[in-house]
Amino acid sequence: MKIINNPILLKDMKTKLRGWRTPVLISCYVLLLTGILLLFFLGNNMLDRYSTSAFDPRLAVDAYNYIIVFQFALLFLIVPAMTATSISGERERQTLELMLVTQTPTHDIIIGKILISVAHSILLLLSSMPVLGMVFFFGGIGIMEIVKLLIFYVLTSFFVASSGVFFSTLFRKSIVAIISTYIFLGLLTFGTFFVLGFRAIIMEYVTHSSIDVTYATYLTSLFPSPVFGFTSFYFDKGDYYSFRYSLWGELASEINSQIAYETSILRFLKPWIANGLFDILASALLIFMSSIMLSPLIRKK
Amino acid sequence: MMLVVENLTKKFKKTMAVDRLCMEIPRGEIYGFVGANGAGKTTTMRIIAGLLAPTSGKVYIDGLNIFRDPLKVKGRIGYMPDFFGVYNDLKVSEYMEFYGGLQGIYGEKCRELTDSLLELVRLTHKRDAYVDTLSRGMKQRLCLARSLIHDPDFLILDEPASGLDPRARVEMKEILKELRTMGKTVLISSHILPELAELCTSIGIIDSGRLVASGSVAEITEKMYQSGLIKIKVAEKEEEAVKILMEMPEVGELSSVAGVIEIKVSGGEETSVRVLKTLVENEIPVVSFHPEECSLEAVFMSLTERSSENENNQ
Repeated sequence: MKIINNPILLKDMKTKLRGWRTPVLISCYVLLLTGILLLFFLGNNMLDRYSTSAFDPRLAVDAYNYIIVFQFALLFLIVPAMTATSISGERERQTLELMLVTQTPTHDIIIGKILISVAHSILLLLSSMPVLGMVFFFGGIGIMEIVKLLIFYVLTSFFVASSGVFFSTLFRKSIVAIISTYIFLGLLTFGTFFVLGFRAIIMEYVTHSSIDVTYATYLTSLFPSPVFGFTSFYFDKGDYYSFRYSLWGELASEINSQIAYETSILRFLKPWIANGLFDILASALLIFMSSIMLSPLIRKK
Repeated sequence: MMLVVENLTKKFKKTMAVDRLCMEIPRGEIYGFVGANGAGKTTTMRIIAGLLAPTSGKVYIDGLNIFRDPLKVKGRIGYMPDFFGVYNDLKVSEYMEFYGGLQGIYGEKCRELTDSLLELVRLTHKRDAYVDTLSRGMKQRLCLARSLIHDPDFLILDEPASGLDPRARVEMKEILKELRTMGKTVLISSHILPELAELCTSIGIIDSGRLVASGSVAEITEKMYQSGLIKIKVAEKEEEAVKILMEMPEVGELSSVAGVIEIKVSGGEETSVRVLKTLVENEIPVVSFHPEECSLEAVFMSLTERSSENENNQ
């Protein structure tokens, strides 16, 4: 079955897009992003023509950083909520068996469900492009950076959606599936930092001296964390008021500087590429396991 | 054979839902599956539809093992469960096209099939209506049309008339008759036994997960006639008649109220003849002699009663 012909995706697109909810949701989302951007500019006196402070176009880079972090956080909140009910919802609506009795293999059902949320994410991301485009007025961000960011967003939403569908297949109740998905993603996102810290402590304990945390240490500990991958998209404009002095900014600066010191081949494996590769492999595994679990001849009841 | 089931067993923890069930349905048959609530009908049908793994046993549909070639088999069966899961935000035609897509049928071919099936289930006028605006009977008919979208040879219909009002039931029955003329093989379960007797070419009676009888309606009732009920009305000499009847070895249970004697006899028509002849020879004034016609309901009650008696004895 071709992806574009996936009846589950087609049905959802048809029913969701013809109602009033989706256009209203997209409008609210774009208005929210615009509001954040305006507030940022207002807060930095960039829209005040009588302001005595100097106009600093580099502030647009910080605005870009704020917006992409906001989008990333929103993706993490919306996608699990959409996908963690996808299979359990069908089960509760008593429509799952009607799907399973058709000639559509279980992996196509799973992929259809994932594609629905990826398509919604793409729709939200594309609709936010005009807002992100505003930072181009001020320069500093290249178009290729935006393209790379979009690819990373799509890969991340595919992985997050795969996790949601996996837990939706595993648990019969939607609420259990939603909570499990958030816990799983939370552990993957922040738990890996505990792994990094734990590793550093062990290494110090073994060598009895303070150790240098290199890019290789970061990479091998944090590669499953989307926050690690996201550090590739941080733009440092290098002044005192920079976004750098946020937790994410600090982390991104540290990792980016470690990449600069890295001499091995690992320096080419940027955080977003490493995390993106993990997303692809983990999604494939989650889809495979979900398909097996969904198969009626394997399920117990 | 369209369906062959061999020693099918399904155990849920400690409950034996289906117990070494064997059955065969030849092509073109309308097979009625009869059983009380919890007898194992739905479990058996779900296993046959490939929706549930059995504990043991084999199922072949059109010669294909459903556990080895599940997708091939699914192309040959249409399944209608005893509930109607529908998407309320879809129109009737979109609902059909969605399931057409899941069966690998797209575009113009799917639209043509949708039109002809909506005509079959008399829902053409509701083509553009939202599914949630349909009545229960209409939703049931829509579900039947959905199960036919890929033109399957074998239909599994679990209680298709449950919860329907008499008019909707008649309409459903008419549609099923049309399916029979189309040459489909149908496995249908129902609680409404007279309807099954009228519609089905053969029936199977399931009780506590076991198939206690199987064959054509005539065959089963004939077999049951071997232990039929006879109502005898006598003008006088009731006590003497009771005494004579009790001495006959073929007569089982006996009750007598106001000149009407009811006896259960083992044996077929010959036994009835012998009972009447004995009464007449003993000069009992018999007013009426009425062997009860063995209905499917009576067969069902009798067989499931026997089975529960056996269980109690064990």
